[in-house]
Amino acid sequence: MTDSSVIPPSNRSPLKLTFLAPPVGYYAIFFIAPLAFLVVLGFWIVRDYQIVAEFSVGNYIDIFSQFFSRSRFGWALVQSIYVAVTTSVFAVIFCYFLAMGIVFCVPERYQRLFLVLAILPFWSSYILRLFAWQLILAQKGVLNYVLGGLGLDDPLIITNTQIGTRIGLIHYLAPILIIILYITLINVNRNLIEAARELGATRLQAFWRVIVPLSRLGLTFAFGFGVIVSFGDVLSGMLVGGGIGQSWLGSYPLYSNMIMADYNSYTNLPRTAALATVMVLIMVVMLVVAYRMADRARQRLA
Amino acid sequence: MKSSHEPKNSDLTGPRVNRRTLLKGGAAAAGVAAAGSLTIFSRTARAADTLRVLCWPGYEEKDVIQEFEDTHGVNVEFKIYIGGEQMLQFFNQTPRGTYDNVLADAEYIRKLAAIDAVEPYNPGEVPELANYHPKFNNMHQVQAGDGMVWGTPTRFSFYAISYNSDHMSFEESGDWNSLFLPKFEGKIGIFDWYLPNMGNASLAVHPNKENPYDLTDEQLGAVRDWLLRLRPQVNMFGSGAQAIVQAMINGDVVAGMIGDLDIDLKLAGYTNMESTIPVQGGIRWQEVATLCKQSENKELALEWIKYMSQAHVQAKLAYTKAFKARGPNLKIAEHWTEEQNQLLGYYPDPNNPGQMWVETLIDRSVGRDLPVQQDEKVWIDIFNEFKTG
Repeated sequence: MTDSSVIPPSNRSPLKLTFLAPPVGYYAIFFIAPLAFLVVLGFWIVRDYQIVAEFSVGNYIDIFSQFFSRSRFGWALVQSIYVAVTTSVFAVIFCYFLAMGIVFCVPERYQRLFLVLAILPFWSSYILRLFAWQLILAQKGVLNYVLGGLGLDDPLIITNTQIGTRIGLIHYLAPILIIILYITLINVNRNLIEAARELGATRLQAFWRVIVPLSRLGLTFAFGFGVIVSFGDVLSGMLVGGGIGQSWLGSYPLYSNMIMADYNSYTNLPRTAALATVMVLIMVVMLVVAYRMADRARQRLA
Repeated sequence: MKSSHEPKNSDLTGPRVNRRTLLKGGAAAAGVAAAGSLTIFSRTARAADTLRVLCWPGYEEKDVIQEFEDTHGVNVEFKIYIGGEQMLQFFNQTPRGTYDNVLADAEYIRKLAAIDAVEPYNPGEVPELANYHPKFNNMHQVQAGDGMVWGTPTRFSFYAISYNSDHMSFEESGDWNSLFLPKFEGKIGIFDWYLPNMGNASLAVHPNKENPYDLTDEQLGAVRDWLLRLRPQVNMFGSGAQAIVQAMINGDVVAGMIGDLDIDLKLAGYTNMESTIPVQGGIRWQEVATLCKQSENKELALEWIKYMSQAHVQAKLAYTKAFKARGPNLKIAEHWTEEQNQLLGYYPDPNNPGQMWVETLIDRSVGRDLPVQQDEKVWIDIFNEFKTG
């Protein structure tokens, strides 16, 4: 128990508690409670097509007994992590340079306009954007039509591959990452860049030795955010990735897709919950890693 | 906003604030969206002249239900689901008695009966059954014993081969083994659900089997081998019809164990899209109107079942905005235009005098069912192996 003398009087202020209650209640109702229910549900069983609140680790035994054989949930998980990490890397690089363009090349009075234009896709439906990508990237799509006009006869195979999945995801992530990276870059001390240049650094050296190190926290944060969101996404893998998108790992579905398929086809919500809990655990690990990376970046900046 | 030229190395908290704001905003938006899609029924608040139906899309369309509401002076409320599992979830998550009727896929009757959700009734209460194709009167999925039934079929269609006739000939489409032709490598689309696909695979391996879901372990092993052999030909697993339709239009997929998606494609002007049932047989989906055991409005619920069995109602139901299908009441053809009959197969079959093409397709097909000899998990694991293979 904490000694009450240590707590500043203001911490017991009824006003403070009143204002603290809504966010605490919000997280308890919309985050903690559903998550706890999901975890508990994974330990229940199904009898005669009905959920029975009887503790069992059978769902986890079933899942891990066929992790790399038969249903191969493990390979789907590896595919998901691989796609999430690579997507986030590409998304961060793409958005970083876009944000740099806005911060360093656009006059200050137009920067907000460019920022709004960059995040404009966020205001349209994600599913519609994915269908649009299908039309653009398909074998008989816009891209291959244009390439055909340029004399490239063999169509590029992008849809129903994990490259397609990544494109859909990057488009989804871009508005958020651009905001994160824009704020990061706009906070980079221009005096330091100018000092580096005056001391003889080339533009590239100033970029690598000044701008990138000072962006490390934002880059880390954007990367972590990108990995977690990509890992949990199911739509891009289904609509542009074709459900079983090919990557160099093989033609494995994403883990999120396996969870969806399990929910849609099996009258065993506890097993689906157990599959989802495995995913949540991986996400927690990712969050911890991202937090540590961000913390390290923050310490370096300090 | 601060000037970009000020030193602000110590103030890099902006992104965190933004992320929180974004996450909260996103969660709030998701919450609002979820709430918007919910239909919350209160058992006590409803009026006595209200009928509540849990069903697939289409039944709620005004054209379909208006006449029933006017005739009986009642209001019908619908809760729409997509997929049998979602139907079970919705049913289990509401108090018993909330729904008067559940419109279920035929194979889900077994699950609804197991949870004591439905009540059998005398098929003699539904006179229109006399106009049904005999296969729909003898569906084992709805037989409740002692001459009683669990439900009345209302709509059906097929899950066989859909194909692009620019790439697959009519002759090729008549044999499941055509899917293995080298020219179709990486060109086959699969609907991401084990039941129809494994039923079709079962028929491909065990042609014209009376119940392709009633397999010994050895027979099931042969189905597994057939699927694993097919895997290199598969380009995509579509989560729904729309994704596969789009893939067929885009040229990513030229054929698949999908079903009669060609109906909507033909209506959209894609005359090169066709579908058929191979000679080995194919799977048929069937929707069945059931009576809920805990309904407090059973008389009206039975009236709705009778209403849905009528040809002129099925003519509207099978041709809704939601999607196009077929009706088990063969008099349906009298209520459609010549064009609709052509599109949906209600025209004379030249090879079988005296019957319509749709009847030939019904004869060739078998109703979707649940695995008989194994737990459904065994079949799902095999399908997952096929998918991740």
